[in-house]
Amino acid sequence: MAIEMNNVAPPMPACWRKETKTHKFCPGCGHGIVLKALGEAVDELGIQEKVIFSVDIGCCLLAIDFFNMDTVQTHHGRTNAVASGVKRATPDKICIAYMGDGGGYAIGSQHLLNAAARNEKITSILVNNTNYGMTGGQMAPTTLPGQKTETSPYGRSVEQQGSPTHGPEMLAAMLPEGAYVARGTVANPKQLKKYLKKALQAQINGTGFSFVEALSTCPTNWSTNAAKTWDFLENQMAVEFPVGEYKVPQEGGNE
Amino acid sequence: MSVQFRSVMTESGKGRFYLFSDLCKGCGLCMEKCPQQTIGWSERVGIYGAPTVESGHGEKSCIACKKCQTICPECAILIEKIEK
Repeated sequence: MAIEMNNVAPPMPACWRKETKTHKFCPGCGHGIVLKALGEAVDELGIQEKVIFSVDIGCCLLAIDFFNMDTVQTHHGRTNAVASGVKRATPDKICIAYMGDGGGYAIGSQHLLNAAARNEKITSILVNNTNYGMTGGQMAPTTLPGQKTETSPYGRSVEQQGSPTHGPEMLAAMLPEGAYVARGTVANPKQLKKYLKKALQAQINGTGFSFVEALSTCPTNWSTNAAKTWDFLENQMAVEFPVGEYKVPQEGGNE
Repeated sequence: MSVQFRSVMTESGKGRFYLFSDLCKGCGLCMEKCPQQTIGWSERVGIYGAPTVESGHGEKSCIACKKCQTICPECAILIEKIEK
């Protein structure tokens, strides 16, 4: 029994730009879940008018018209650099840098590391789907050992291409007290929203750099159906990249 | 600018399942996350021409846990608990 109704609204976060929906990501893409969690976190903190959202090149640039917020499109990998500059020019704004694993760990790794080394008061969100989604699924720094991609047809070899990049572990080791580093997953959106909210709170409090990596899905380039997508995310990626908080500001430290 | 999305409602067990066919791309992530396996393919098509989903399939019925609503990347599912 199916009844057509027109009097209910979809459960979208208030800061989503509704006239651009449905969004441009592929069916089953994890970006939608990450951006839903981010939208809900922004709504709960009530900072929609203050946010400046900068998006990288790659699949994440499809989020350019996603929110009713000020948005900057940056060069590939330079999202952290642009967000740092905006934050320094307008310190009362909340600057969010949104990038993929190629933009953050490959071409933009120097900007990510140097923004962290300077302890810029920005929030950096990195979506890890283990490949370069927009260009057709090439091997990325986060490709799992043995995983087949367009440019590693026999599987990634640790001997030749090295081990996957572990961003939160690396940043947690170099960041000073007051910074926030965590890794969430789109398989657990409530936990991801909690991490994003804490990251934004760290920026609002001005305690330091905040970084959240989100393990995400890419059914188009993994060539998986829904069941295999969840299986790969929860049973293979989450083993290589453990989910959790890596650095949390001490209670009452700098607030 | 207010945008209105059309929806189709199916009732099953404890929940009303609203599906917004202008948003659903038919990825099927919700079907795998449903603990009752009550979500199945509908005869209606979504925005990309792929089948949408509806509740009321399988042997068990909806318990209004809202897992599908939480996981949907498009916000195409709304669950309303039926008050007894």
